[in-house]
Amino acid sequence: MRGAVRLTRLGLCLFLVLSLNFALPRLMPGDPVLMLLGPESVTLSQKTHEELRKEYGLDRSLGEQFVRYWRELGAVRLGTSFHHRRDVASLVGEHLGRTLCLLLPAVFLSTLAAALLGTLAGWRRGSPLDLAVTSLAILGYAMPAFLTAMVLLDLFSHRLGWLPLGGLAPLGGTGGSRMEFMAGVLRHLALPVAVLTAASSAAKLLVMRGSVSAARHEPYVLYARARGVEPWRVPFVHVFRNACLPLLHLTALHLGFVVSGAVLVEVVFSINGMGSLILHAALHRDYPVLQGALLVLTLVVMGLNVLVGAVSGLLDPRVRT
Amino acid sequence: MSNEGRVRDRNGGRGKGASRAGTALLLCFAAMAVLGILTESGGGGPRSLPLQPPSRQHPLGTDDMGYDLLRLLVEAAPVSLMVGLGAGAVAAILGTGVGLLAGYARGVRAEVLSAVIDVALLIPMLPLMVLLTTLLGPGMGNIILVIALIGWCSTARAVRARVIQLRDAPFVEALKALGLTRGRIVLLHVLPNVSGIVSAKLVLGIAGAMLSEAALSFMGLGDPLRPSWGRIMHFAFQRGGFANGLWNWYLPPGLCITACALGFVFLGLAWEQRAETPAVAEEWADEPRGA
Repeated sequence: MRGAVRLTRLGLCLFLVLSLNFALPRLMPGDPVLMLLGPESVTLSQKTHEELRKEYGLDRSLGEQFVRYWRELGAVRLGTSFHHRRDVASLVGEHLGRTLCLLLPAVFLSTLAAALLGTLAGWRRGSPLDLAVTSLAILGYAMPAFLTAMVLLDLFSHRLGWLPLGGLAPLGGTGGSRMEFMAGVLRHLALPVAVLTAASSAAKLLVMRGSVSAARHEPYVLYARARGVEPWRVPFVHVFRNACLPLLHLTALHLGFVVSGAVLVEVVFSINGMGSLILHAALHRDYPVLQGALLVLTLVVMGLNVLVGAVSGLLDPRVRT
Repeated sequence: MSNEGRVRDRNGGRGKGASRAGTALLLCFAAMAVLGILTESGGGGPRSLPLQPPSRQHPLGTDDMGYDLLRLLVEAAPVSLMVGLGAGAVAAILGTGVGLLAGYARGVRAEVLSAVIDVALLIPMLPLMVLLTTLLGPGMGNIILVIALIGWCSTARAVRARVIQLRDAPFVEALKALGLTRGRIVLLHVLPNVSGIVSAKLVLGIAGAMLSEAALSFMGLGDPLRPSWGRIMHFAFQRGGFANGLWNWYLPPGLCITACALGFVFLGLAWEQRAETPAVAEEWADEPRGA
């Protein structure tokens, strides 16, 4: 029964967000055909404009476009980009791949750091270690990611010349050996991944610290100590298992947000990922690309939430329904 | 038990230190903003030679148009602060309203409001911000509106959680038995009890709003007519200041954003701690502040 309610709510959420995805691009002022043609549009005849409009399905009423949007979604067709003249699915896939190269290592590292340091800081709340870790986390929260990115890039790439200035892979592609290429990719990834890790660790760390420090006075901690469990096992095994749910939720939320929020880091490091794709599609009113990209983001965020719900049930029987 | 007391004492001490540090930082920036309003010339004062390094005449050097960078920095302070304060306040009011309603209502209405909060939390923030700014057009009022529309849901969720805790508390039951109307109970007796959380969220929200404004301006979506710290960084990135390693151009506005956000975060964390202590001790049921 509860499952049915939850499923209905999820379905409703999905319908609402996907409808919003259709509506938002069309609410923006500006004609996509004029945006596509630029200043050249003056020299073209009205007839050409009409033909283009017809080709893109923009000549129909909004209601018809809405029905068509859902029919296409049902058939898992994302349409063709106005600007790139390419299938939106392959376009989004390509950009998502680049973003995930940055994102997955950053999410993994920041969650790991938050789990370790947050547990330590929460367990020894008020200690010098806690003070140092918490101060760093707060600083990481208050510093805009693009500032961190610019400072690191200026220092390590510009002044010291140790790391490349931007992009994802060495120029010239797969000219060298496979190992060399991989090393080059790692060198390109180092700075952006570091920036994203720093930016997303802060909140997770503070949450982990809070939930560990709230849990450390529970009776089971005293019991575990009394049983003679090794001192390090108490915080990292017994408390961690009970206190990691908020971290898990935040990680899922972040994974979704960072897919979109990486745009600033992408801009500074000249990486052509999802963020740049969405930014440019919004500025050029490329409806199909916007719809496709937002669809993927919505599905990723919702899927992660469902997944986390399931996993938290496995980890903590108290939230199982 | 003595251990417990010691720990709380320590936390209390640090909370005070954090709130003092935050207040001191914010007073500095308030003074800077007042100076910015007083000396405002609408565009950075007189022009001199472009791209000069820091000197006695121009402590931070000049940008590519020959404007004094220190003067631009001071003139940007009121704009950045105003957007942060405005968006933070609007978001707090919106979030408190929705949170109160969602927490106190029951049945279908509660479900719908909670679903709205959950959906709003699910929507990826930055793309929506980009869409909304292009939709509404640039301009300070619109920027404030967009940031507030994104930022209200975390306040709403915290307020909702607290109201759900409070709505079955003995003092609310007592007020109901006295025959008070629902609106009166919510506004005069429940609202004061969530004010601690709201003020902490408000201050944290201001920090978040300032960072959002900086991000939007850095992408070139800010108010084109007013200087803000984010916009100075946008120009430093776009017009070659960053590519040429001119730290005196891109670094000071970034540090201002960081320090200012840090001030609000310090204050918010201190207040949050203060707001949470009674909830942990569960003292609120015995001495309702609102009654």
